[in-house]
Amino acid sequence: MAKEKSERRYQVYLDGRSIGYVRNGRNFVEEIRRNRRAGVISGEINVAIIRKLNEIHINADRGRARKPYIIVENGASKFSAELLEKLRNKEIDYNYLVRRGVIEYLDAEEEENIRVALEEKLIDKDTTHLEIDPATFYGFTFSSNVFQEFNTVGRHPISGNFIKQGQGLYAINFNNRYDARAYLLYYPQMPIVNSSAYRTLKMNRHSSGQNFVVALSTYFGYNMKDALVLNRAAVDRGLGRSVFFRTYTDEERRYPGGQQDHFKVPPATTEGYLGEHAYSKLSEDGIIEPELEIKEGEVLIGKVSPPRFLEEQTSFGVGEEKSRDNSATLRTGEEGTIDNVLISESLGATKIVKVRVRNIKVPEVGDKFASRHGQKGVVSLVVPPEDMPFTKDGIVPDLLLNPLSLPSRMTFGHMMETLAAKAGSIGGTQFDGTMFSGKGREKVDMYGDILKKHGFERFGDEALYDGRTGKKYDATIFTGVVYFNRLLHMVSTKMIVRSRGPVQILTHQPTEGKPRRGGLKFGEMERDALVGYGASLLLKDRMLEQSDKADIWICRECGDVGYFDHIKNVPVCPLDAGNNLEKVEISYAFKLLLDEIKSLHILPRVRMRSE
Amino acid sequence: MSKFEDSKVVPGEAVGTVAAQSIGEPGTQMVLRSFHSAGISSVITTKGLPRIIEIVDARKKPKAPVMEIRLEKGIEKKYEKVREIWRMVEEVMTSSLISSFDEDLKAGTLVLHLEKEKMAFYEITGKTVASKLSKKEGVEVSQIDSETIKIKYMGKTTQATRTAFVNILNSPVIGIRGIIKASIQQADDSSFYITTSGSNMEEVMKIEGVDKWHLYSNDIFEVLKVYGIEAARNLIAHELSDVIAEEGFTVSFRHIALVADAMTHTGGIRSVGRHGVAGEKESVFARAAYEETVKHFTNASVFGERDTLKGVAENILIGKQIGLGTGRIKLAVKKDDLKKIKPKKGD
Repeated sequence: MAKEKSERRYQVYLDGRSIGYVRNGRNFVEEIRRNRRAGVISGEINVAIIRKLNEIHINADRGRARKPYIIVENGASKFSAELLEKLRNKEIDYNYLVRRGVIEYLDAEEEENIRVALEEKLIDKDTTHLEIDPATFYGFTFSSNVFQEFNTVGRHPISGNFIKQGQGLYAINFNNRYDARAYLLYYPQMPIVNSSAYRTLKMNRHSSGQNFVVALSTYFGYNMKDALVLNRAAVDRGLGRSVFFRTYTDEERRYPGGQQDHFKVPPATTEGYLGEHAYSKLSEDGIIEPELEIKEGEVLIGKVSPPRFLEEQTSFGVGEEKSRDNSATLRTGEEGTIDNVLISESLGATKIVKVRVRNIKVPEVGDKFASRHGQKGVVSLVVPPEDMPFTKDGIVPDLLLNPLSLPSRMTFGHMMETLAAKAGSIGGTQFDGTMFSGKGREKVDMYGDILKKHGFERFGDEALYDGRTGKKYDATIFTGVVYFNRLLHMVSTKMIVRSRGPVQILTHQPTEGKPRRGGLKFGEMERDALVGYGASLLLKDRMLEQSDKADIWICRECGDVGYFDHIKNVPVCPLDAGNNLEKVEISYAFKLLLDEIKSLHILPRVRMRSE
Repeated sequence: MSKFEDSKVVPGEAVGTVAAQSIGEPGTQMVLRSFHSAGISSVITTKGLPRIIEIVDARKKPKAPVMEIRLEKGIEKKYEKVREIWRMVEEVMTSSLISSFDEDLKAGTLVLHLEKEKMAFYEITGKTVASKLSKKEGVEVSQIDSETIKIKYMGKTTQATRTAFVNILNSPVIGIRGIIKASIQQADDSSFYITTSGSNMEEVMKIEGVDKWHLYSNDIFEVLKVYGIEAARNLIAHELSDVIAEEGFTVSFRHIALVADAMTHTGGIRSVGRHGVAGEKESVFARAAYEETVKHFTNASVFGERDTLKGVAENILIGKQIGLGTGRIKLAVKKDDLKKIKPKKGD
């Protein structure tokens, strides 16, 4: 009995809370929808019927992603030819269509109840909605890309990630901004092939790439495995050239007790003085001047802070107040020119200084580039123009992409773009690459016709000549134009070398990470590899000699760790106060371990035997 | 003979580390997911990484115990005989033979309605069921006909009666305890064998016609109990090697055999890890370096343990050359002793 009843009635949820039951669920939902379209209730209300669960979900809360659809009634789109004409003549606008119940916005739950036709001619008796344009079923980010319908699904998010990392014109007012980090492309270009979403978003004002002439060719194995070969002539002309800004901010802070920081060139008596040379570029006010070239470790803003702890009273009474150097230095491994200095005041009426450092980044071996189809690569060689292949017209490609990077990834969009942009650059036009905006075959024919008209091969291939010998290549090479992004991963910001360097205080082992001039980690698996190979001395070299080798005194009597008394010139055991100790070469980490065991109230004793 | 000499492992080779790496590397590529292949095979086994973990952790009961029963020469190709044995193997409950039952708890009666098709499939008559049930204490069976069985049982309370009825429904009629399902398979040489899910070697061995020399179970602890530690060691090695091979990886059998040896050389089965092989290392430092550092140090202090610093982990810790590979080689004669040797006259 109870079962029958629950089958018939629907439980109604409003914004996730149960508010009651209705008998005829379908009619109830239809009525809400009818009223919404008529404008009786708000258009922001969405309702979904879930028959499996006998539930009706009404959603009117915030934070639902919604998408517009054209309503279809009785097998006909409500967006009639008449309305289209009116819209064209600007008699009505888009909002009119929404108000009049021609277009409605649906959320994810209500979308489960509808049947959408992609095109008007595909409408059948079950269709409830019509897609405004097939391109709209991706978001703005994806739709701003081109020819994505030719790529495999797995490449879409990858290409999206790369475009995000592209360097470009991130803001028009960049010169007045003091971003912590900023990358700016010297000559950003508008892509020859773009999409309607790209134009709608006015992305062409903030482009993040350049149109590269790309030949799908190998170059002596230099572009194997996603490596790229660049033309030095193109690089010298400014291809992919960018500038990196970093802003250093400092503030004259006030401390309790009336003390405060001071911007000035620190006197040599300050604690932590970096040496005269480091402050040489500061002007009298302790702040660096614009257009000065600066190197690693040099001071940008000289700042003197009060000591961290209260001073002890000296026997001479209150002496001269000690101060601590708290200057801002250029980061390790960086260099550049001072772009601008900004001096201002904070809300707390303290002095604030911002120094923007600029550094020009010319593409070099190790820099990363990517097309809009998830095809990334790292520059492996910058070739002099005379050694690059050239076409019959004397065109030298900017970039040589390995043909093997295409088949396994199935990014046909990349090839479509190559062809379309080539046709566009030769014909002097831009092309539309909006997703699902036409059939691939027709597009290829169209681009082919343009190329043919201008004396090129239909399918974009060209006879290339070897720049070194002048001989023609046996095969014709697919050459065209592709929009490439220079990504913000650049070797110059990542490269690090170390032979000797700082060590950690606690363990005496080398520091970690680039800012601390750290070493590369020799981890557990690396250790196991040497153990497995049996290279015992190499292992000892890594784990001891190149790491935390220490001479530790150990008591021959009690086995405790002792120390060397440099005044009396004898080793001392603190446990039995004896001097009978042995100097052993062990890792400092072991000494630390013994100390930590002692902290557990366990006394470890080391017994030694001569070998 | 020279091939044998060539195949011998060089002194100082880090066999354990290499074995761990050789098994661990394909392990990283395996998916941590057990596939349950639906279809013809009625026997479901754990495969892939979950099974490897099961073996290496030395779990007492495998998730899916499986047996393979070979039959003695002479009857192996006779289907009727094989079927006879098969009937003795699979455990059939009362509840799976009936279509429905009526109970009267006040009167203490239970009427079972037997299902014809199922009875025929297992070749059981109502009499067998009745006689099996009548052996239970206090149960009175009065068979009505071939399709219904009437049972009388009076418990002290209604609840006791109810419990007894449930027990009757879940009591086995034929077969061996623990064997949920058995099916007859045919090998390439047209001989028949039986595969089961659920394992009970002791009972299966008692059946006449079962080849005791080729009885197979993937329950390692059961094999240990029935056949001994050597068999268990072989089973560990072969199960591991089969699973790895099934996933499409090639690992030399010697690495796997080493793991099996490390797990069984004490005479019992130890797991690889904190509670087994690694946790029973001699060195305090080696144990502390692995897991539960503080526990090992405090225990060591209570018992006044001594670490001879011979192992790999300890030597890396203190920064000494390890006693493996190139560090294995030592001078047998001390330098000072060499001076003591006086040349013989005439040399």
